[in-house]
Amino acid sequence: MADLAVRLCGVRLKNPVIAASGTFGFGREFHQLYDIGRLGGISVKGLTLEPRGGNAPHRMAETPSGMLNAVGLQNPGVDAFIARDLPWLLERGLAVIVNIAGNSVEDYCRMAEKLAPTGAHMLEMNISCPNVKQGGVAFGTQPDSIYQVTRAVKARAAQPLMVKLSPNVADIAENARAAQAGGADCISLINTLTGVAVDVRRRRMALGNNVGGLSGPAIRPLALRMVWQASRAVSIPVVGMGGIMTGEDALAFLLCGASAVMVGTANFADPFACPRILQELDTLLAEQHVRKLEEVVGAVIEN
Amino acid sequence: MQHTMARVAGVDAIARGIYLLRLHAPDLLAQGISPGQFVHIRLPGAGQQRLLRRPISVMAARPQEGVLDLAIQTVGPGTLALCGARPGDTLAVLGPLGRGFDAGQAQRIFFVGGGVGVAPIRFAMDAFAPGRRCAAFFGFRGAAFAYGIQQAPCPVQVTTDDGGLGARGQVSDLLRAAIEEEPPDLILACGPTPMLRTVQRLAVPEKIPCQLSLEEYMACGLGACLVCACKTRAMDGQGAYRRVCVDGPVFPAEEVCFDG
Ligand SMILES: Cc1cc2nc3c(=O)[nH]c(=O)nc-3n(C[C@H](O)[C@H](O)[C@H](O)COP(=O)(O)O)c2cc1C
Ligand code: FES
Repeated sequence: MADLAVRLCGVRLKNPVIAASGTFGFGREFHQLYDIGRLGGISVKGLTLEPRGGNAPHRMAETPSGMLNAVGLQNPGVDAFIARDLPWLLERGLAVIVNIAGNSVEDYCRMAEKLAPTGAHMLEMNISCPNVKQGGVAFGTQPDSIYQVTRAVKARAAQPLMVKLSPNVADIAENARAAQAGGADCISLINTLTGVAVDVRRRRMALGNNVGGLSGPAIRPLALRMVWQASRAVSIPVVGMGGIMTGEDALAFLLCGASAVMVGTANFADPFACPRILQELDTLLAEQHVRKLEEVVGAVIEN
Repeated sequence: MQHTMARVAGVDAIARGIYLLRLHAPDLLAQGISPGQFVHIRLPGAGQQRLLRRPISVMAARPQEGVLDLAIQTVGPGTLALCGARPGDTLAVLGPLGRGFDAGQAQRIFFVGGGVGVAPIRFAMDAFAPGRRCAAFFGFRGAAFAYGIQQAPCPVQVTTDDGGLGARGQVSDLLRAAIEEEPPDLILACGPTPMLRTVQRLAVPEKIPCQLSLEEYMACGLGACLVCACKTRAMDGQGAYRRVCVDGPVFPAEEVCFDG
């Protein structure tokens, strides 16, 4: 059996499989089905400074090999999370990555300050959520603003800072470098791609928000390309995601330079996706006589 | 809640566009299923093409045989794939999920079902009608679409759009007349949104307790992803949106907002 443990900017994960933000709530629902402590980590549902009600229905449309979502960051707010959910999560024995989303640099900074005295292991700064009109997207697409917001938040954060990059950009490598220059401890990618679906019978946009975020296997080749390009552009660790459904998919991301992976939409197809992917990855690495996970990170042979 | 591999015991067309899927799932049934609850089924053979499971209401549960009956309307490729299952196939099923109907102490119950929404209503009738004074009102598009009427435990009145079976018109017309004659102490309803909206308008101003079963697209089915939101009047920390998969699918009629 391979040693699957990962050190991600000082935080030890017992394995590289992390539940992706927004698909796993705060972990309680999936914990009814299996011990979530078996996973390397959880990135919690995106939090904002104040509670948010989210977008009008419909919030989801199934698409070929994927889905569009427009939840609109419905969440109870960072204070309620710290009081009600974080203590429970910290007892589960997996790395707790707190995903934060803001409308301004100041929002992010205040959330980082509120989280500083807690036992949370890492912050994931979502500067790329496509569902909030004035929000995330503005920061997420320009290298300048990525640099600025990363620098400001890094100065206030007590925990390692992971910056989650948007794929809705021209040059992912440039944005990855901007996050690193701003002081990010690691980066994660990709968030969802923007898209729309149309209900032709009603001649209406399928989603209440019109625009949604595309996820699932449909985005996997693109996600893999971006993870590969970003990981070659920076020296900080990269966490890869986008359509991972199997252990083979996870290994492809590791080979392209990801130190760990996040699993999102797969949890909907198979509620046991995270532990299954972990098992499959373990078997695959054993077949390839891999002793330590690091051996495969970035080890893809390029032509 | 249980995740199980259920064996398909039968698939039969019971009305135009509606199939009865029988699943052998004793471990799931052992959890106890109440009317209005649903199961979440992985589509057979869809691979990574159609990822999402389908939430399907339970029409009947027979714990002694370990069999669950589901009525499935073929609305798209996903539900068509489900209805294409063959006896002996296995399907990944998660359930029971959600909060169902609660009959409480009601003695006179009106059951209102429209289209595929008749399925959970029929389950509720079989569970609650014996020993109570009940009546049921079913609406279908036409005679060919009707099902769930035979061997009912209480009188059933039917409407169809064309009058091909029962009265011509809307099921709410019958409900209105029956309420005027003698109001029930509970109404349970499931069906298309326009029907539910009318039931709400008939029940709430008259202070007749009423529960509506809602439908929404789902991803996790467990309460984690928040894609299945419906608007309600209940204001709490989460705002006015509730999750159809775990807070529902059955909600008190006075809490539901149909304005979007
Ligand atoms: C329903 C849903 C909600 C999501 N919510 C968030 C969120 O709140 N914050 C965030 O950073 N990413 C969010 N995401 C994006 C995922 O974390 C992930 O980046 C994306 O879905 C790609 O991975 P996947 O294909 O494995 O799902 C959400 C995705 C889905 C499907
Ligand atoms: S379907 Fe995920 S919360 Fe209801």
